[in-house]
Amino acid sequence: MSDSSGRRRERRARQDAARQVAMQPISYRPPPFDLLSPGEIERLHQAALRILGEYGIDFYDDEMLAVLRAHGIAVSGSTARFSPAQIEQYVALAPAQFVQRARNPANNVVIGGDQMVFAPVYGPPFVQDLAGGRREATIADFENFVKLAYLSPHIHHSGGTIVEPTDEPVATRHLDMLYRHIRFSDKAFMGSVTSGENAADSVALAELVFGAAAIREQPALLSLINVSSPRRYDERMLAALKVYARARQALVITPFILAGAMGPASIAGTLAQQHAEALAGIALTQMIEPGTPVVYGSFLTNIDLQSGAPVFGSPESQIGLYASAQLARRQRLPFRGGGMFSSSKLPDAQAGYESIMVMQPTLLARTNFVLHAAGWLENGLVAGYEKFVLDCEILGMLHVWARGIDCSDEALAFDAHDEVPPGGHYLGTAHTLRHFRDAFYRAELFDYTSAEQWQLNGAQDSFARAAHKVRALLDSYQLPPIDPAIDAAVCGWIARRRAEIGQRPQEF
Amino acid sequence: MDPRELPDEELWLQMQDDLYDGERDAVCDAVRVALDRGHGPSTVLAEGLVAGMDIVGADFRDGVLFVPEVLLAANAMKAGMEILRPLLVETGAARIGTLVIGTVKGDIHDIGKNLVAMMMEGAGFEVINLGINNDAERFLGAVRQHRPDIIGMSALLTTTMPYMKVVIQALIDEGLRDQVFVMVGGAPVTESFARQVGADAYGRDAATAVELARGHMRQKLAS
Repeated sequence: MSDSSGRRRERRARQDAARQVAMQPISYRPPPFDLLSPGEIERLHQAALRILGEYGIDFYDDEMLAVLRAHGIAVSGSTARFSPAQIEQYVALAPAQFVQRARNPANNVVIGGDQMVFAPVYGPPFVQDLAGGRREATIADFENFVKLAYLSPHIHHSGGTIVEPTDEPVATRHLDMLYRHIRFSDKAFMGSVTSGENAADSVALAELVFGAAAIREQPALLSLINVSSPRRYDERMLAALKVYARARQALVITPFILAGAMGPASIAGTLAQQHAEALAGIALTQMIEPGTPVVYGSFLTNIDLQSGAPVFGSPESQIGLYASAQLARRQRLPFRGGGMFSSSKLPDAQAGYESIMVMQPTLLARTNFVLHAAGWLENGLVAGYEKFVLDCEILGMLHVWARGIDCSDEALAFDAHDEVPPGGHYLGTAHTLRHFRDAFYRAELFDYTSAEQWQLNGAQDSFARAAHKVRALLDSYQLPPIDPAIDAAVCGWIARRRAEIGQRPQEF
Repeated sequence: MDPRELPDEELWLQMQDDLYDGERDAVCDAVRVALDRGHGPSTVLAEGLVAGMDIVGADFRDGVLFVPEVLLAANAMKAGMEILRPLLVETGAARIGTLVIGTVKGDIHDIGKNLVAMMMEGAGFEVINLGINNDAERFLGAVRQHRPDIIGMSALLTTTMPYMKVVIQALIDEGLRDQVFVMVGGAPVTESFARQVGADAYGRDAATAVELARGHMRQKLAS
């Protein structure tokens, strides 16, 4: 081979690498899909108001109950009952969209409007891959997933507890995870919600990285507050919620409902309950700090009423997702929902079908923040390495989907029609030569070769191809740059904090 | 860059790069410069064009180049070959080969077949493209007229595939079968089908077809 062509090949390889790392923000151009009529949405909304007025929502935090009382909410015991006017008044204070800062400003994300943000799976205590099978997740796994999320142009956010690093002490685990997000990625990330103290640590670290004033202008943390459905906010979640709201850091308020167990055995009844729970929490955030960015969340699926097992990818969860997004839009709030959900233990046919069965509605519902967009297996107990990169492939395709169809003169391609006679081909037209590199999405993990070529290449299925991709990505990973002064400040702060926590008697 | 200013070694590299980029006119210029310097046509072919297309073939196989880029390179190769071909005939130098290709009777699906034809031209073959819907008579006539080394038949439909056997039988009946290497291809065609109908080779894709054709020519010219 000649030297000059060797140089050309290097140049091409570099161009490919550059294309790979740049994050591709997603703007959803088509109109979002409305499953329910405005009348039906109003009926669900009225049902939620009735739940809020008649049954109320429980808050297990005296300070928060005092805040509610001070804002005129009827509190009895730990139950708060809201009037329709109070709900409308406080929910309306939340912004319709906001920007979350990333360490690399090019990776700042808009949450809300027609923007969609994909983040990795959150919470699994186990990992799974082709070579090692299913095992407890470690901080090394956590680091790997941060790297994989950083390397994918189709993941816009570094997420939070991508996996639970079970080899690190519980009391300081949040520090280990936050540091990985800060140092091994430059995308936006989530704060710890496991206690008020951990939330305060998250805010302190964000202040070191971004500046205390800067994060109050635009949040640097987006944190996940789950409602312990039915109709209950627990101490732990409220402790984190108040820390973040006071620091004007963004929150995702998510009722976590498995219909049949934590909600009624009907989708409409479950939606009314979810709406009531979400609105109560969102109203509370605005009482604490008006204008705090907040996302209307939904984590809605059902159980198998025969066995009691949770079911992911069910048709009910999909129609529930559309209606949830409509309810969030009714309140002009950013919406969180969906993800690549599956109950499967492996990235097999079940995993693929279930995941896309939820992810397609997630897209069509125009979900603004999609947690669990990659890596989810086995009801969220497991983060799959191969599943992660396979999901990223689909996310890439959905980016194309979300753009809709370009109907410009260039896209109508009259010079190509002009060039090609009946029965001819378009492979060599000037138009094709202008566009062939990016005209169509090119999957990396799906095989398009002939059967014979596929056999010659080792007859690999997508699981095996994904395993190669995982290795190649981790081998190619390079640390993103960071200001050494910031890194030193963060490391020093974490070391001091770790020593402080270490001196305390352990509660576990 | 003016190819006349380049020393020989760099001229070959330049020719290969221009071929890679599908720069048809630049390739032709470089071919003429090399001939003017007294290099024989088979040297120009081997050092410049074939060496260049080998790189194109490898990058296509490795997924670096896209089909439209390969077609551009093949067009440039074809243009260079048009300059060299009469000189190669004159000097009696080793030929790359001649190919007659077409889709069989009843089948008008020819994009894949055209891709093969262009890639064959890109490899330096002289290609007589009979187009679509060819009956046995057309194939026989082309064999008699052009005396090709290879005939290639293509089909997309399972209903037209069996006609390949009709053509091969006609070649046998006319005593022409031994003179040509018969290659078949198309989406539903398989290796075992190729054996069944008495073909010599099955190309599963365009790049493989070119490799098979070149392999056959090496064998033929060596014997």
